[in-house]
Amino acid sequence: MNLSFQALAALCWVVIGLAIAPLLWLIAQPYLRGWSRAERRASHLLRDTLTSEQLRQLTWRGYLEISSPTEPERVYRVPRSKGYVQVIENGRAIMRLCLQPVECLPDADIVVLHKLMIEGNEEAYLQKANKYVCID
Amino acid sequence: MLRVMSRRGDDRLTWDEQKVLEGNPDAIAAVREAERIFAEERRKGATAFLTGAGKPAQRIEEFDATAEQIIMVPRVVGG
Repeated sequence: MNLSFQALAALCWVVIGLAIAPLLWLIAQPYLRGWSRAERRASHLLRDTLTSEQLRQLTWRGYLEISSPTEPERVYRVPRSKGYVQVIENGRAIMRLCLQPVECLPDADIVVLHKLMIEGNEEAYLQKANKYVCID
Repeated sequence: MLRVMSRRGDDRLTWDEQKVLEGNPDAIAAVREAERIFAEERRKGATAFLTGAGKPAQRIEEFDATAEQIIMVPRVVGG
């Protein structure tokens, strides 16, 4: 009787463990990803590409602001993780842009990609991006 | 240095420009390999940028063996 009770209790714990495992995985995943080799390499590239001020902005504000090389009043706000790039003109968000690489890249590489394309190829960047106009 | 973005982070290939000028066979082979990768990635639709400390990125069409750093980004599409 005692033995069967213990077996039942152990089985209950196994079921509970299996039930919460996906939840724990979801919670831990971002932290584990941060340690992956690809993410580490991408972080190195990000550090090599951004100035210390830009890195601080990305870390503390969660986005990187890149000035337009052609329009002095325009700034692109690139998020740290996946999401829309905001186009800000005269301090007001006028548009959201969606642009992604055909190959899956670590988040840090995507920030670098946006920076390079805006600085070095803004016209093509705007041509390729899907645009969502912000209406007040 | 040539850095090619990929799902693995970025793949790097370095060479010593001085040794290339001196005719070092290993350095010359590294530059040729970088040139080959550059051309292959361009064929796949990648864009190449010349970058340097504190300088804005500059798009390039041709491989530049004297560049401080070339970063290649894969083809992009509207999302």
